[in-house]
Amino acid sequence: MSAETIGSGGEDGDAIRIGEYALGLLPAQEAAALARQIAEEPALAAELRFWQSRLSDLDEEFAEVSPPAAVLPAIEKRLFGSAEARGGLWESLGFWRGLAAAGVAVAVLSLGAHMLRPVPVDPDAFAVQLVAALNAQEGSGVQFVALFDAETGNVRITSLSGEPVPDRDFELWYIEAGSDPVSMGVVPLDARTEIPLGPADRARLTPGTVLAITLEPQGGSPTGDPTGPVVAAGPATPI
Amino acid sequence: MQGSAGELADLLARTAMRDRAAFKLLYTRTSAKLFGVALRILKDRSEAEEALQEVYVKIWQRADRYQAGGFSPISWLVAIARNHALDVLRARKPVADDLDAALDLADAGPNPEQATVRSGERARIEACLDQLDTDRADAVRGAYLDGYSYEELASRHSVPLNTMRTWLRRSLLKLRECLSA
Repeated sequence: MSAETIGSGGEDGDAIRIGEYALGLLPAQEAAALARQIAEEPALAAELRFWQSRLSDLDEEFAEVSPPAAVLPAIEKRLFGSAEARGGLWESLGFWRGLAAAGVAVAVLSLGAHMLRPVPVDPDAFAVQLVAALNAQEGSGVQFVALFDAETGNVRITSLSGEPVPDRDFELWYIEAGSDPVSMGVVPLDARTEIPLGPADRARLTPGTVLAITLEPQGGSPTGDPTGPVVAAGPATPI
Repeated sequence: MQGSAGELADLLARTAMRDRAAFKLLYTRTSAKLFGVALRILKDRSEAEEALQEVYVKIWQRADRYQAGGFSPISWLVAIARNHALDVLRARKPVADDLDAALDLADAGPNPEQATVRSGERARIEACLDQLDTDRADAVRGAYLDGYSYEELASRHSVPLNTMRTWLRRSLLKLRECLSA
């Protein structure tokens, strides 16, 4: 053991011993005893911070090595149960961002004009109106059309097709390029819904912003971020 | 790809608030670095994968303990990974040193691109290590980067255990003076 150094060391002895501790060189028992001492003595804690911060400058020498793809699902399973294992691509934030950046091909023109009615037509209004056709993704069969009127600040969303899913709700999101999806709430099938938006959300709904519908647990995503698959999506386009 | 310190601090804060998407992004940004740490110290892929899982479980559980202003987020995360890998290493039953595996990783230093962005801080510890004899600087590096114990360091450098302890303690004293200057 290193009693001779520790006992006689004074300030230098403490510094060395804590340096050894920071490097991981002390035997387990001695390290545990020192950890308790550090917790009680601020001077020792400061010494430890000194060593940790200086040694951490060597961290660049740890080469980056991509772990196997199976590690993240295993971690999520350990932390969250199996819930997060579902979804794969659809859950990835990268996917969401790619979607918003790319601007999914839009099929607005293929929508009959009747689908957009009643549009509040006001020839004097120069307020922006945006429409988004939320086309089915991955064969979900779910389609919505959304209309945003900047004057009223409302998003009107209407389902065009799709079957309800037991114990699940559809949740509407908007996604600006480079940002996380923002929820606009749960939307029903077989009904037209008016969603009033606050000023901040209004300002962010601009041409190119992607609207998307995900399948979420009843009542909407428990996390505030999408957790389920994207069933319909499309970018907002001025009309 | 690692994120900026600001982004990582933000992701840690959101992880502390139980934001799973932020945690996943934090993993995406940092797992290659932390896997590199576990692999370098454990020198065994499957042990390193298991360690990485445990490290991120700890990160999820302890994200609220990260305090901005102390360490940079990545240093804090590397410290968690390094400490965990050291625990696994020290708990291992003594087995014959797998020299082949060790050699595979011994030179896993920064690639040329990373080397060009070395920070001034790094240059400082490098400068201080350079003031030590090469053997002794290597011993300090071996302890920090590879997690070698005194026994391993002594056998690698072919010196008696007590000599290695003396080397290292003297080196730490010199390093401390140099780093405090």
